[in-house]
Amino acid sequence: MSKETLAFYEEPRIGVFVCDCGSNIAGHLDCSQVAEYAETLPHVVYVKENLYTCSESGIVEIQKGIKDHNLNRVVVASCSPRTHHPLFSSSCAEAGLNPYLFEMVNIRDQCSWVHMGKRDNATHKAKELVRMGVAKSAGLEPQEEIESSLIRKILVIGGGVAGMSAAQALAGMNLEVILVEKSSQYGGLLRQVNTLDTGEDALESVQALAGEISTQEHIKGYLSSEVRDVSGYIGNYDVRINTPDGEVADKVGCIVVATGAVSLIPEGLFEYDGKQVVSMMELEQQLKHNDLSAKRVVFIQCAGARNEQREYCSRICCMMAVKNAMLIKEKYPLTDVQVLYRDMQMYGTHKEQMLWNARGMGVRFHVYDPADPPRVAGGNVSFYQSVTNEEVSLETDLTVLSTPLVPRSDAGTIANMLRVPTDQNGFFLEAHAKLRPLDFAADGIFVCGSGRYPATSVEAKTQGIGVASRVAAILFKDKLVKSAIVAKIHPESCVGCMACLSMCPYEAISYNPELRVCEINEILCKGCGNCAATCPSHSAELKGYKAEQLLAQIGAL
Amino acid sequence: MLDVGRHPNIELMAYSELDALEGEAGAFKATVRKKVRYVDEAKCTGCGACAEACPTPVPDRYNEGHAERKAIYSWFAQGIPSTHAIDTEYCRVMNGKKCGICQKKCEAGAIDFEQKEEILSLDVGAVIVATGYDVFDPSKMPEYRYTVLDNVVTAMEFERFLSASGPTEGHIYRPSDLKLKAERADLAKKAAKSMKMLKKIEDKHGQSSKDFFESFDMDTADDDQKKWAAKYEAYLEVAKPLARLEEKLAGTGTAKKLAFIQCVGSRDLRFYPFCSGYCCMHSIKEAIIAHEHDNETNSVIFGMDIRAVGKGFEEYKVRGENKSNIRYKRSRVAEIVKGDDERPVLIYEDTQDQVVKKEDFDLVILATACAPVKGTSKIAGILDIEMDQYGFFKTQAQQPLDTSKPGIFVCGCAHSPMDIPESVAQASSAAARAVQAVLQAPALKVS
Amino acid sequence: MTKDILVLGGGIAGIQSSLDLAEMGFKVYLVESLPSIGGKMAQLDKTFPTNDCAI
Repeated sequence: MSKETLAFYEEPRIGVFVCDCGSNIAGHLDCSQVAEYAETLPHVVYVKENLYTCSESGIVEIQKGIKDHNLNRVVVASCSPRTHHPLFSSSCAEAGLNPYLFEMVNIRDQCSWVHMGKRDNATHKAKELVRMGVAKSAGLEPQEEIESSLIRKILVIGGGVAGMSAAQALAGMNLEVILVEKSSQYGGLLRQVNTLDTGEDALESVQALAGEISTQEHIKGYLSSEVRDVSGYIGNYDVRINTPDGEVADKVGCIVVATGAVSLIPEGLFEYDGKQVVSMMELEQQLKHNDLSAKRVVFIQCAGARNEQREYCSRICCMMAVKNAMLIKEKYPLTDVQVLYRDMQMYGTHKEQMLWNARGMGVRFHVYDPADPPRVAGGNVSFYQSVTNEEVSLETDLTVLSTPLVPRSDAGTIANMLRVPTDQNGFFLEAHAKLRPLDFAADGIFVCGSGRYPATSVEAKTQGIGVASRVAAILFKDKLVKSAIVAKIHPESCVGCMACLSMCPYEAISYNPELRVCEINEILCKGCGNCAATCPSHSAELKGYKAEQLLAQIGAL
Repeated sequence: MLDVGRHPNIELMAYSELDALEGEAGAFKATVRKKVRYVDEAKCTGCGACAEACPTPVPDRYNEGHAERKAIYSWFAQGIPSTHAIDTEYCRVMNGKKCGICQKKCEAGAIDFEQKEEILSLDVGAVIVATGYDVFDPSKMPEYRYTVLDNVVTAMEFERFLSASGPTEGHIYRPSDLKLKAERADLAKKAAKSMKMLKKIEDKHGQSSKDFFESFDMDTADDDQKKWAAKYEAYLEVAKPLARLEEKLAGTGTAKKLAFIQCVGSRDLRFYPFCSGYCCMHSIKEAIIAHEHDNETNSVIFGMDIRAVGKGFEEYKVRGENKSNIRYKRSRVAEIVKGDDERPVLIYEDTQDQVVKKEDFDLVILATACAPVKGTSKIAGILDIEMDQYGFFKTQAQQPLDTSKPGIFVCGCAHSPMDIPESVAQASSAAARAVQAVLQAPALKVS
Repeated sequence: MTKDILVLGGGIAGIQSSLDLAEMGFKVYLVESLPSIGGKMAQLDKTFPTNDCAI
């Protein structure tokens, strides 16, 4: 940055924009008073109140303010920086202001929301927060964004339908893919399944996909292989893979986790014995090999799911039960098929149609009460039928337990290796349940298929293809550009005590034994500030949140 | 949403329709018609001064008709683009009347009553169809008396009631009470006007109208006195019903006892045989939010199955039951009838107790089906793609994003009913398929 | 021969498709019949299970 530009920032000229957020903020505190107050604060040369600062007209106001009043710092008092900071800072940048000279004050969550009904107090607090924000902004410094190179190759972990679909889609977008599958064949969980809900043969469908994969020149597949180690960061990962032919090391730009899930083995549930009482996967095999001899079949849904131990609904088991019930009725029309359920989870068009059809074929459905679950004993399933208020006893030759998909036993190991989180059930946790279902919070790593949450084959395929878009949105770019809000360790005062090393959750800090100091990898650093808070010699600091900036903010309170 | 408006690679064409599509994957020619806003996109800053000044109120579709906007409007406050548009059905100028107030108020000079529609021709390599769904109109089900009973609303209407930016600023008032309140406001305005006139006369005579009227005798009164009496009588005609309304409204508060009815139009062979997928969770969410707004709120969700089929959904459902006063009743509600004080009464079979019950509620919310959009067959015709038996765009399980025509892909509820994360995942997938299509499309032959 | 892509509908699905395509470097025409984008989701107050603001 040139000296002239730096000089421009020396004497702060602060603009403050107070947002009404319609009635969201203005309904619960006096925004006009806050705006009037802001005018009295040091270095503030311009103040504007907007109905919606994030609206197009609000943004125009900020940009106009910057130009007309020669502002070199901007403070917006509105909602959460989590959602709106990027918008406001980039709008400042468009108007020629370094985006790191933007500061946001949250008077919605912290004032109008939490102090609803206490207008005066909320207004008072909003003023204090604005005063603090203005004090901090005066000390802000311009920053340059960090750029880094990208390797246009992707590691896909898991060769089930999700992983294969992801690999195929990425290759179709002319990106290089390494596909690693732990077992000796592609196909994952679907290899254990007889038919899909769409009527296709499951094995044939995955084999067809595997066939396409093997002929794709952009895909390098490793069967019977495992990823041993991953280091590096978005755009530049070093990966080591154990293959039957020895260890392979490679570099990739992004990683896709498609490790899938396994079906719970119902040990200890409903007198499971693998003979008279079997799991759904065992039934799939019986149907596949045409060795179903039972004349009376009872399905029990939610076996081992939706209970205190495993609270979630596994999404696909109702569909599998209905699919198999229909298959039995088709092949052996005289077989009596009954399904005991809590809620039939046949969402959407096709699955609900299956439920209608199954009923039409004579499959019987009964609700059971989870507080009083069915009892299985000696060829008999009894349960309380609330509709008729009586105990019903069904004679049965085969009881099928619909068990949920559960995370693979090595999901935790993979999560640790990639430093990505899992949820309370052990499935991989995406960045946002609604809006970022295929991303991890960590940049450059993505998730699809049943490793995230149970999915049908069509859903797993869809997610696999979707991941390709998310990956290409990074790797189709020339280079990676990332926020300048990262930590910095001053080598002249760092004593190399390594206290920061263990505090960094992103493994962005390393020790340089030659210089005997700790060093930050700016690409890996997420700007959490743990190191800055820990460093006993105050050598580590977070850009944009330096001690003097924060002290100015606190001092203003 | 804002990112779309700001992305240099996205040309946003709002208030536009696709009129025609010709060609094939890699080389489609699309004809897009930009509808007339009568507002210059380049000049309009979205400040809203025009809408503020516009004298013509219009029912606001964004708020499901529960609020008013003006004949010149933006779709909603944070809308992208914020460019306003004139509603030709209501605008006075468009209907041959004198007005043009908006034009005078617009400092940007953006209002252009002479604007013509624009036809644009676009060369594109692939098309993604994300035309969404329509909310099923429950007035087709006479047994639920939607539109007959004020306090029976759709889930989308209720969503607007819950919203801080909605017509009730997040307070859950019963629509019947809102009607009364509007009536009260209207009467109060009239009463105040009439009171103002009386005040002048009272000041002149130094006597209250009430006292004057008590001793008023038609036979002996002069013209002035007769006029005064007539004005007072006119006032009373407004004041009396106003007082009655005040009394009636004094006891009303917010709606605290809510009923949600699932599968309204869904899983119903008369309308849509399919399950709309998201409505169970939508109702649970609304009941939880309503309880957050007022912890005295009680909700009953009536459904055949409660389909909490997504990551974290079952947990959310259980949380609603444990912490937000939600009860789940396995039942298909037979009928809603009118009870006392505008309270809807549900008639349903309680399958737990094996009896038919009648129960009244403050407010009933109908979880309406995800219906294919009205223009689906027209769009299918323009794009030359097939529809499935339910009225959505047809795809195959092997290629779940591909329509029957190469180069055209579908995602979201135009594909089939689904919730937000599924729509988002599908949208990314459709994008990947579209990219593959344009990258792989054979080069055009040079003739 | 063109690599530009047309997206019909500016709800959450159309928005996500457009953003992904735009980030991948493709030119997108996003056509929406209403005056503003956002679709049904813009009418929602909050979304489950995290109860985040829908807009």
